[in-house]
Amino acid sequence: MSDEILTDKYVENSTRAIEDDILQGALGKIQSGLAKATQASYRQLDEGPELRMTAHDIREKTINNLDVVLTQLAAKVRENGGKVYFAKTAEQAVAYTLDVARQFKVKQVVKGKSMVSEEIGLNPALEAQGIEVNETDLGEYIIQVAGEKPSHIIAPAIHKTREQVGRLFAEHLGVPYTDDPPELTRIARKALRDKFLQADMGISGCNLACAETGHMTVVSNEGNIRMSTTLPRVHVAIMGMERVVANLEDHDILFRLLSRGAAAQKLGGCVSYIGGPGGPDFPDGPEAFHLVILDNGRSRILADPKFREILYCIRCSACLNACPVYGKIGGHAYGATYCGPIGAVLTPLMVGMNKAKDLCLGETLCGACRQACSVNIDLPRMLLELRYRLAYGDDDWQTKQVSPLEKTIHQAWAFLAGHPALYRAFLKAGAMGQKVFPKYRGMIRKMPGPVAGWTRDRDIQPLAHTPFRERFKTLSSKKVR
Amino acid sequence: MAHATLFIQCIVDGMYPEVGEAMVRLFQRLGITMDYPENQTCCGQPSFNSGYRKEAAKAAKHYIETFENAGTIVCPSGSCVSMIRNHYPELFEDEPGWRERAERVGKRTFELTEYLVDVLGFKNTGAYFNGKVTYHDSCHLNRYLGVSSQPRELICRVAGLTFVEMEASDKCCGFGGAFSTKYPDISTALVKEKVQNILDSGADAVVGCDMGCLMNIQGYLNRHNYPVRVMHIAQLLAGVKGDAA
Amino acid sequence: MPIHTNETQFIHDIRAALGIRANNSDARQKEIFTDPAQPPEAQQMLLDTICARQHSDRMDLLDRLSREAVPLNLKVIPMKNEAEAAKAIAGLVADTTPEWGDKKSVVQWDHPMIKALALDSALKDQNVPVYTAAFDGSETSHNQKNLKRDQIREQVTASYIGVTSADFCLADTATLVMRSRPAEARSVSLLPSIHVAVIRKEQILSDMKELYALLKFDPDTRGKGLPHHMVMISGPSKTADIELVMVHGAHGPRALYLYVITGE
Repeated sequence: MSDEILTDKYVENSTRAIEDDILQGALGKIQSGLAKATQASYRQLDEGPELRMTAHDIREKTINNLDVVLTQLAAKVRENGGKVYFAKTAEQAVAYTLDVARQFKVKQVVKGKSMVSEEIGLNPALEAQGIEVNETDLGEYIIQVAGEKPSHIIAPAIHKTREQVGRLFAEHLGVPYTDDPPELTRIARKALRDKFLQADMGISGCNLACAETGHMTVVSNEGNIRMSTTLPRVHVAIMGMERVVANLEDHDILFRLLSRGAAAQKLGGCVSYIGGPGGPDFPDGPEAFHLVILDNGRSRILADPKFREILYCIRCSACLNACPVYGKIGGHAYGATYCGPIGAVLTPLMVGMNKAKDLCLGETLCGACRQACSVNIDLPRMLLELRYRLAYGDDDWQTKQVSPLEKTIHQAWAFLAGHPALYRAFLKAGAMGQKVFPKYRGMIRKMPGPVAGWTRDRDIQPLAHTPFRERFKTLSSKKVR
Repeated sequence: MAHATLFIQCIVDGMYPEVGEAMVRLFQRLGITMDYPENQTCCGQPSFNSGYRKEAAKAAKHYIETFENAGTIVCPSGSCVSMIRNHYPELFEDEPGWRERAERVGKRTFELTEYLVDVLGFKNTGAYFNGKVTYHDSCHLNRYLGVSSQPRELICRVAGLTFVEMEASDKCCGFGGAFSTKYPDISTALVKEKVQNILDSGADAVVGCDMGCLMNIQGYLNRHNYPVRVMHIAQLLAGVKGDAA
Repeated sequence: MPIHTNETQFIHDIRAALGIRANNSDARQKEIFTDPAQPPEAQQMLLDTICARQHSDRMDLLDRLSREAVPLNLKVIPMKNEAEAAKAIAGLVADTTPEWGDKKSVVQWDHPMIKALALDSALKDQNVPVYTAAFDGSETSHNQKNLKRDQIREQVTASYIGVTSADFCLADTATLVMRSRPAEARSVSLLPSIHVAVIRKEQILSDMKELYALLKFDPDTRGKGLPHHMVMISGPSKTADIELVMVHGAHGPRALYLYVITGE
């Protein structure tokens, strides 16, 4: 990844996020509203929430035949007059985009929100060539002005208050201060209209391509992606290679689920199907369309049958809105492009399991993500799988054992579990040894070592002097009350 | 006449034996006979959740050997039953013999409330509790076993009790096993929110089916001197009129 | 710009990842891509429903559309005929002012239904010019086309109302579906502050499922093809990116008026 990876700062960034009252308020708002609304919107589907399972099957079939599907997509896009480039690496994707920019003498770019463009570090590369890049999604625009990274897939600036945005706009755009969201939106509307009209190139991501017809589709509520992909002379779309379906009828199902998962909407406000430029007979629209299909580690994930399922993701962000951990730590704590439960699985697979170990270990496995997922992806299963690879190491993934000491402890526990007499003796010894720890209202206040993390904020129940196993005989012979 | 073989998980056996005792008293009152295999140890969940599957498999084999001849196994823990039913088979992907045995014993292992309500058809256990009670939906019991109505059916029929739902009863309490000690800031932030929801409900007691969660909640309540009682559902259902408060 | 597209190696790597050794792409292609000539039962039922629609069904759809349109800020106005619609649009022009600057002008598609409105005469007494954003046939050379494109761009940018028709309208989501054609410029429904759309009630479908059934399995619709571009618009733009406060009118039109010709 060309982006700066800070996954090893998960713990300290989480702590900082938890202490940030403004962020906590914003996250609370997003989760309390959207999570319930999304579940309700699944129930309101004509086909019911079971449509998510159908979608899962569709994605499974597509991914298992990705070679055939992508070949068809490319052929059809070319029939539509578009150009297709297959980028194995982030560097190749960036280099190709820069080539196109050079060819079209691009000085200004307008961009729709695109996580994949963040993944490959496109903006800095364009700016290094002296090209002005304008993010046009309001949230992305705000954080671009602020010089920050997005903290949520759908609402990138959710961590900013209206006062912060007001101050930001006043300082950077030279407008009078206001903290009224409609007024702030109007300011951005005006500023960006000029950019849309002047830009030479529009860059977008791709929500979901349709191989049968040779289109990629992009959706927004703001209309910015439509602006960015209609007005400039050339449009470059960057697409993760897994973001495709085979048939139109698959696209219908996945798109309806994407809209519900993302914002509990029946359909996003503005959906564009784009397969190529208009050509000489069309009075407007770009004169060239380039689709960049990106691998950047996805084929490696594809090759591992236990992780292939993560490629079914359509980036709706429903899992972020349901995850209690994300709800406390926000997007930045994950230290990489993809955050939330999807990021907890994808990021270790992309940047390295050891480097991103906290992302998959620092989750409670509560299962809310799987319940929320618009495609019914079993995220907890893959989190457990990542922990398994970390526990023993994995050569295929260049992963080292995360803690040989911890493994030894678990080996000892497994040994005890298989030897009941020793198990009982060990617990007995523990109960005796625990007597040294001070108690309050029957609970221990402080313990050292690994349990210190618990006892910092919570009391802990001591081991019982007489465990249940020693009480059963007496109990079972007592008379019933 | 119903008969249950008891699997009393390590947290209850070692730290909260009174919960096991309550379950025994409850079963005696309901006329369920019991046996308790003395050689039982741990279901292996802690190792599995931390990725140590080979070690978890050892514990699993011990469980299978200990319980596979039992008719019905009942355990007062949603997460342990989820481990046994949902994950034991995958531990033996490469050992088809063990896998079969795991699947068989998994079918016969039940969490306490699903045993009482779904298997035996009990809803009114004749229990008594004077006070307001709220219920915490443990994640594994709720999302991995699909058990959420059964505890409520039982709680609502306890005489003298007023049931109040808390806000976000099914939101994770932040325990997550080893997570609670390895990522204490996040864990504490979650249990703090859970406790706030419990306090806001006005309940005198919070009831749950998993001691891991309840231990976490109780730990925070105790540290902050909040007067809310924490009870495992076995303790709630074991109580009868005339019991000391 | 001749460029090696990397396709062969890329696809080869995917095949290797999937563990596919045999050269069975053709067989798998037949299996994955469904045949438009063989609609499954559910899809055929949708097509039959659309065909069998009566006047009263269509009026029901219009009702549903009107209800769904409300929270999306789309204004649905039934009109008896094109003449009434033209009068209404003239009224709209009289009642509204441009967002940028103070000169009013209107831009429109080169489309039979729009032509039937005769907007240039309807707006004559208000002195509001009406531009048609399309080649008029006189442009033969590359240069002439480019000049005309620049002119169209200028006119669309300057106009505060854009008037279009649409291919379909989906009642369930209050969505206008527009396939691109040379006479139907994309920017007419995009750049002006107000978008006015005029359709017939016969163009209203129930929902996305019906649209896709037509696009895929209806020989007539499929015959017309899915061009290089199609857009689906469900009301004017909006955003909630600042503190999740919903603000209507982000980019593109801030208001959308849909006139539905009903014949009554």
